[in-house]
Amino acid sequence: PEEDEDLSDSEDSVYSGLEDSGSDSEEDEEDGFFNVPGDVFHAVLNHYSGFCWVFLPTRLPRFFSKDMLMCPFLVLQDIRNTVGNIPMEWYRDFPHIGYDLDGKKIYKPIRNKDELDDFLDKMENPDYWRTVHDNQTGSVIVLSDEQVELVNRLQRGQFGDINFNEYQPSVEYFSSDVMIHPVTNRPEDKRSFIPSLVEKEKVSKLVHAIKMGWIKPRRVEDNSRGTFYDLWASEDSSILSKHRMHLPAPKIPLPGHNESYNPPPEYLFTDEERALWEQQDPSDRKLPYVPMKFSSLRQVPAFPRFIHERFERCLDLYLCPRQRKMRVNVNPEDLIPKLPKPKDLQPFPTVQSLVYRGHSSLIRSISVSPSGQWLASGSDDGTVRIWEVCSSRCMKTIQVGGAVKTVTWNPNPAVCLLAVALNSVVLILSPALADRQVVSSSERLLLGDQEAEAAEDTGAVWSEAEGEELNQGIRLKVHHPKAVHQVVWHAKGDYLASVMPDNSSHLQVLIHQLSRRRSQNPFRRNKGLVQCVSFHPVRPYFFVATQRSVRIYNLVKQEMTKKLQANSKWISSMAFYPVCGSVSLTVLIVLITCHLICRHHKKAVRGVAYHRVYPLFASASDDGSVIVCHGTVYNDLLQNPLIVPVKVLRGHVMTHDLGVLDVTFHPTQPWVFSSGADNTIRLFT
Amino acid sequence: MSQLQARFFTENKRYVVDDVPFSIPAASEVEELSSVINQLLLAKDVDFDFLVRGQFLRTPLSFHMETEGISTVRHRSYDKTARIWSVEGKPVMTVAGHTDVVKDVAWVKREGLTSLLLTASLDQTILMWEWNSERNKVKARHCCRGHTGSVDTIATDPTGSKFCSGSWDKMLKIWSAVPSDEADEVEGPPDRPRKKQKTQQLGLTRTPIMTLSGHNEAVSSVLWCDTEEICSASWDHTIRVWDVETGGMKTTLTGNKVFNSISYSPLCRRLASGSTDRHIRLWDPRTKDGSLVLLSLSSHTGWVTAVKWAPAHEHQLVSASLDNLVKLWDTRSCKAPLYDVAAHEDKVFCVDWTESALLLSGGADNKLYTYRYSACQTDAGA
Repeated sequence: PEEDEDLSDSEDSVYSGLEDSGSDSEEDEEDGFFNVPGDVFHAVLNHYSGFCWVFLPTRLPRFFSKDMLMCPFLVLQDIRNTVGNIPMEWYRDFPHIGYDLDGKKIYKPIRNKDELDDFLDKMENPDYWRTVHDNQTGSVIVLSDEQVELVNRLQRGQFGDINFNEYQPSVEYFSSDVMIHPVTNRPEDKRSFIPSLVEKEKVSKLVHAIKMGWIKPRRVEDNSRGTFYDLWASEDSSILSKHRMHLPAPKIPLPGHNESYNPPPEYLFTDEERALWEQQDPSDRKLPYVPMKFSSLRQVPAFPRFIHERFERCLDLYLCPRQRKMRVNVNPEDLIPKLPKPKDLQPFPTVQSLVYRGHSSLIRSISVSPSGQWLASGSDDGTVRIWEVCSSRCMKTIQVGGAVKTVTWNPNPAVCLLAVALNSVVLILSPALADRQVVSSSERLLLGDQEAEAAEDTGAVWSEAEGEELNQGIRLKVHHPKAVHQVVWHAKGDYLASVMPDNSSHLQVLIHQLSRRRSQNPFRRNKGLVQCVSFHPVRPYFFVATQRSVRIYNLVKQEMTKKLQANSKWISSMAFYPVCGSVSLTVLIVLITCHLICRHHKKAVRGVAYHRVYPLFASASDDGSVIVCHGTVYNDLLQNPLIVPVKVLRGHVMTHDLGVLDVTFHPTQPWVFSSGADNTIRLFT
Repeated sequence: MSQLQARFFTENKRYVVDDVPFSIPAASEVEELSSVINQLLLAKDVDFDFLVRGQFLRTPLSFHMETEGISTVRHRSYDKTARIWSVEGKPVMTVAGHTDVVKDVAWVKREGLTSLLLTASLDQTILMWEWNSERNKVKARHCCRGHTGSVDTIATDPTGSKFCSGSWDKMLKIWSAVPSDEADEVEGPPDRPRKKQKTQQLGLTRTPIMTLSGHNEAVSSVLWCDTEEICSASWDHTIRVWDVETGGMKTTLTGNKVFNSISYSPLCRRLASGSTDRHIRLWDPRTKDGSLVLLSLSSHTGWVTAVKWAPAHEHQLVSASLDNLVKLWDTRSCKAPLYDVAAHEDKVFCVDWTESALLLSGGADNKLYTYRYSACQTDAGA
């Protein structure tokens, strides 16, 4: 009992397991053993050597007595080892096995029992089965009947106390039933239904603190834990794409009928096929197996070459060359350069404004006077008409007596002359539609020196017009040996060139000098059928277009400068871009336009014309339309000229499968004239 | 049907209605509005025109051809003659003398029985004629030489002492319009005796007082804005205002199309221009750097060849076009013309007003039409 009091005071006693179960004073109960914090309390049973912990359910009432748990153990001797719950082999090499309560060593028994002793003991001692060797003390304990019973009960999971009835009916102190009599009949406090002052103070303090910002209304969630981030987010996408280079494995062909267990008979091998299959080298065989027929799926044997086939498949995948085809997806429209909108390229002719009617047959050629006031037209009805541009009034009609091939105004503004080509004659007309001085100067030019004789025999005969023709304005006639197709003026207005296409003769182009009434043949040899000729507007160059090529001659050096091959079948007309300085470039443009126009026109191109001031050119075609293009030429030869088709002008009626025959621009305004097979000339502005 | 609240105002006392809002069906047209007014006035059937915020409500076309025989009309033609017509439609006189087509004509003055008349021709001369209406005879007084291109346009100044001509040779020339008995000396040697003889027959030679050059292309139309100001339109896409005293250019208005014709109204001080597109444009000549189009009237489908402001009405102008139509416009209704006159069978080249509010138009179908425009008697504002 004295020791018990010590024990209850010391904390160690609980752990050392030296609680005296026999102590039963009420004070001990209160402050010692049962006063364990929490609802769980432990009962420690000491049965001489070890501990027996009993864990009781939480809801048990606190006031149950120590007696209920305590068993009447028989205490034989009070040799208690104080070393605690340690492995006893730590004391193996010592003579003692621990210390008792007084601090004295507990010595091991002098002699351990050997096996023989043990055996004998087992044979002889009837209490052997209830004898327990206590390792802590080294003593031998013989359990009493009660202790054995207790051990058995504990082993069975029963309470150690025999008298304890675990199925005792429990008294329900607190139940769901509302009892008549309250547990306490105390009236409710006043404070239970008035607002709490303390709470109010607390709340106001909190509110103040929130207002002052001392406390945050809601605690910011701690993001340091639980957030995760993309480890590869900052990684370069090119590296990722490299990893993503997935090459799909070549697909196995889908099984066919010949792989079926029951293939149609035509898939089965005949004897010859089978013999052939067997003769062939395995690599040459069309099929790696022989199609077999089985009556049912159950008859099909295991596939003997399964492993082999898998292996080959893996080998295929491993060894097959992997090549990534880099396919460039280019939209073909992106390759076309961006053209400016036609709207931004104004002015250009857009609508038909005037129609010049009066001719009775198709109009082959038109020409605008350098001042822009008059328009001359030559028609198959044998007349040349001169129109006032702004009012479409026919000012003059000149009967020339033959289908007119070409009409051209003299480009020199100081003279007012018209060259007309018909049949085999080139006529020089003086329409007298200008200032008197201009008219007189042109008349003087025509009078010229006549004494100059034809130095070479060109076959051209000059003669003056007489009588009625003179009244009409015809001044000079140049008779050619062959039919004249085209006549062009030099920019100075003194020379003109006429074309007589003939494949067999070298006499195809004649150059006439008006003031001296002289003709000459510039070419000695025949270079092909000449289609048209042209003088360069500024430079001393002469262009001769045959069916497939354009030759450029330098008139000063009298030699050929360049030969250009056209990729069209037939050059029918030439025009010059006036702004550009370089000769080659101009012709280049012409050819490019020919090519371009050919793509837009559905039929043959009849004529092309450049505007003198505006970057415009027009082309006329047999399909009855005039296409106006905006062309910009850059000084840089490498840069392609920018050509934008801006307008398709329709108006002419198709007659005899012919549409527009000639096209020409107004010299100053962005207006285009077109003459057609429907006997009209149309002005588009 | 939705209803509208409307008030009707008029300046004409006869047709004043109460200044209270009326509820009108929103879909009603001019006729219905007129009938409403008629009912309110308990009056006979009167057709009204309605102005809504300064814009005309469209009216049915009513055109009456009437003739009145007081003033005379002249006509330019391409048969090398000018004709004087009475408004009854009879040619009074044919003035023949030019060696080439007549491009423009203008009256200098009409006093009593003798009048002075100018004709401009493609033969680079302007002839001044004296017409005695009593004896019905013309006499060529002067032959104005100096242009080196066809004279396309002439205009006399408001006082009748000078006139201005514009030519294809890009020049504007100012001449004296006072007939005299002396011939100015002719510049240059008379090397063409034949033609000289002819011109001498036609009157005394006259040379210009002043030459205004600055246009880059042919001058298509010229007019006097004021006694000291000339306005000219040209094929070089500009309208230029000139000072007659100094001979200098005051303002340039730049368009983007060739100008065919201009007209100036002293009432509203606007220039109207007809160009080689479908639009009639109104300009303010007083703006210094004004290339700004005040208003654009578009309804024609061909070139506008002539425009003319009404002499008495500040909002009305008439235009002729290559689409065979003459249109009467009100600047307050810029979307559509007031009237379309479809009388010509071919291109219409010129149009003019007379003092008595008669409309004249001449065209390529060799006809001269006169119209009487019965102006609205009443204007009611809703």
